[in-house]
Amino acid sequence: MEKIANRQLYFILFMIRCNIAVAFLPVLTTADALQDAWISSMVQFFPAALLLLFFGSLGTRFPDLTVTQYSEMLVGRWTGKALSMVILWIFLHMAAIEARTYANMLITVLLPDTPLVFLIGTMVIASAAAAYAGIEVIGRAADLLFPIYLLMIIGSLLIPLPQLQTMLVNLEPVCARGAGPILRGAITPALFTVQYLVLTILAPSTNEPKRALRTAVWALAGGSAILIPIAIVTVAILGPVRGAQTVFPIFGMVRVITLSEFIDRIEALAVFAWGLGLFVEVAIYLYCGAKGLSQVMGLGNYRPLILPMAVIWTAFGIQVSKNVFQLLEFFKPLFFAPYALIIIIVPFTILWIAYFLRRLSRGRSGAP
Amino acid sequence: MTSLFERLKNLFGKNRRALPRGADEDISVLQDKAAKEKLGKSLEANLQKIKERGGFSYDISLRRFTAGDLPGALVYLDGLIDRRSAEEIIRTLIIESEKLKITLKKGRGLEIAREKLLTTDETSQVDNIADLFTGISRGGAALFLDGSPGALICDTRNPVIRPVSEPDNETTLRGARDGFIENLRVNTSLIRQRLPIPQLWIETITLGRLSRTEVALLYIKGLARDKLVREVRSRLQQIDLDAVLGTGYIEHYIEDNPYTLFPQAYRTERPDKVTASLLEGRVAIMANGTPFALIVPTELPMFMQAPDEYFEPLPFGIFIRLLRYAALIISLVLPGIYVGVVTFHPELLPTSLFLRIISSREGVPFPVLAEMLILELIFEMLREAGLRLPPAIGPAISIVGALILGDAAIRAGLVSPGVVIVVALTAIAGFTTPAFSLSVAFRLIRFAFTIFGATFGLFGLQFALLLTLVHLCSLRTFGVPYLSPLAPLILSDLKDSFIAFWWWGMRTRPKLIGGREPLRQPSGQKPAPGQDPEEEKNN
Repeated sequence: MEKIANRQLYFILFMIRCNIAVAFLPVLTTADALQDAWISSMVQFFPAALLLLFFGSLGTRFPDLTVTQYSEMLVGRWTGKALSMVILWIFLHMAAIEARTYANMLITVLLPDTPLVFLIGTMVIASAAAAYAGIEVIGRAADLLFPIYLLMIIGSLLIPLPQLQTMLVNLEPVCARGAGPILRGAITPALFTVQYLVLTILAPSTNEPKRALRTAVWALAGGSAILIPIAIVTVAILGPVRGAQTVFPIFGMVRVITLSEFIDRIEALAVFAWGLGLFVEVAIYLYCGAKGLSQVMGLGNYRPLILPMAVIWTAFGIQVSKNVFQLLEFFKPLFFAPYALIIIIVPFTILWIAYFLRRLSRGRSGAP
Repeated sequence: MTSLFERLKNLFGKNRRALPRGADEDISVLQDKAAKEKLGKSLEANLQKIKERGGFSYDISLRRFTAGDLPGALVYLDGLIDRRSAEEIIRTLIIESEKLKITLKKGRGLEIAREKLLTTDETSQVDNIADLFTGISRGGAALFLDGSPGALICDTRNPVIRPVSEPDNETTLRGARDGFIENLRVNTSLIRQRLPIPQLWIETITLGRLSRTEVALLYIKGLARDKLVREVRSRLQQIDLDAVLGTGYIEHYIEDNPYTLFPQAYRTERPDKVTASLLEGRVAIMANGTPFALIVPTELPMFMQAPDEYFEPLPFGIFIRLLRYAALIISLVLPGIYVGVVTFHPELLPTSLFLRIISSREGVPFPVLAEMLILELIFEMLREAGLRLPPAIGPAISIVGALILGDAAIRAGLVSPGVVIVVALTAIAGFTTPAFSLSVAFRLIRFAFTIFGATFGLFGLQFALLLTLVHLCSLRTFGVPYLSPLAPLILSDLKDSFIAFWWWGMRTRPKLIGGREPLRQPSGQKPAPGQDPEEEKNN
């Protein structure tokens, strides 16, 4: 069986966490945290970690099984399959949203006249090639891309530094409006933990499945940590109100920067950083989706599913929303919170209950 | 009329098969026959057989003599043997046998001669025509004595070889100057001189039904993984072809993925490179008749190493490595970036630079993609022409091509100077890659990158890069990932990848290849002054 190192899992999960933050900066744009967005970035880590532990720790009890396999074991064949499909759905949905967002951003930033289907399709093809090559190849690609990705992100944060000093007034006043806005700002980024459901498919493929959850928590911490400087710099440069109204705040921020006469369009850097992360992310979603689906349907090999799935995902990427504002609306806590919570809480509560019932009945019958 | 009809019928009909085609004269049939055809006891019959099977070729030489009262003959190929040793054999048989009173008994003549008389260092008994010809073709002399079965091949070789010289394709400033030649024995001895240990094992295998080429498999026993050696050996043994005219043939048979542009075995003419690779736990394959050794398994970073980094001061070594990697990436994407930016994203350029480019493109009749592709193709032609020409008129091509053609094309307004600069930069960058096979691969995909850049801009380039990355990540050579130690990331091996390190810091061998004996040398060898006890006393 193909294996990835836990280090590679860390890189993959880190990039997944970072990507959406780079695109939307949800701490700023989904609620009214405004200049306190960077505090929201810190706060969101704790509920996110709790959710991750909630669904991740069930997996550590079945280190060799994916969620599709142990759910069938715990709650029976058909219920298990149904629960797995709920989890597989989120992979499709998140990948479609991400690919769509990226395509929309390319259209605004670089390629104004290119049709949407072309951009989404190309991105999905590259990711499908990686998913077809297998999890090992995705892991290796993540190994190579992660340093580049991180350098590009840090680079686009360092470039505005000279201008930052005068702009820091934008961060004041701190916590002026109490805890409410800060917590509201933390809701959506915390619930992006639904992305980490890939862990339930990937954990058995790691070298040390029992440590996979720990890796995931560290990746969550790393991805959240990088969110803080991003939030600070963006709010400082753009100002809280303008930042909250921008669709892609970071690109808006980078665009404002002119380092010198010669280098004045550095947002391409951030765009391509995100492209690299997105490639890994969509490839992982495709892989997990195909792998999970093949297990649900009892197929021995997931590869034949990749191509049809890639086609469907491209179509879904176009259909997922009418425009980018609608996407942004979807991420407002009012809608996204119940959606993500249901996806996480419902299947895993059922699974946990089934797990404890099983242990109880075993304990009663005297089996170890 | 009938005859014409008959002829047509012969051509197309059943009868065609009945036409004499000399089925029993086909090469495979003849070879089988030769392998089965035993040499008898009778001298005359044997000699007749050899002449006939060899087609009375003019270089099959025959020297008859009588040792004691036993008639014998020495058969050899003129030009391949040392005449003096042949004379020595005959002298021994005729004169020494008299002096020493050793009688060559009929029926056991060869045996006695081999044990008591002959002084040549290597002898082997053959009993069929095929082996006999292989023996004498490798510089042996076949000794026949009447009444003894078969023949005795005595080593009298005087091979036709050129002297060991500096390899032209892989020059270094401070590395060793010897290179492989076309003779396997000389090549393996160049390695032996560098590794005088019994653990340097050399296995040989004969490949090629017609060429019967000796192929050697070199490795250090106890350092190369057994699994790797077994795998290489079994892949070599499965090869069945008619002739091996170079290690390139073998490479085609043993590589993991035939449908890739990237080289999967390292070809080198340098013995020091082969030795260094053996010391890392790799396996080398050499063949008679070619100066190129193959090293497996390989990774991409290996193609970017040149011996100089290890001999020059280290900061400079790191600098040239990084420079080379930068050049590799430039040679891959620069034309694509230029075409993409000029076509799709002119706003990414600073205004003054963009205006310069646009004004220089004024009046150029081609789209920028066509311009780029045409110039790239012309450059490839120039390169190929320069390669094929004799060295004496090689520079003429570069003058005509670079100076006259380039200058005239710009003056005539057919191409813009920007494109010429980009093509020239790309070419220079491509030449910094030490391994030709890798630069060829990058040169080919560069065309695809240019087209991607022209069709959908920088996004297309990113797409092409990602596809290339997926391909490179999925490649393996003999189980070793192609991009290691970069992907999968192996931190301890990064010391010899896109950077170099002081030699006292190269403590471990590459993890995936030399993991059997990971430690190369003890730690703590970093030089520090003032360790000399004598000196301390003086202070």
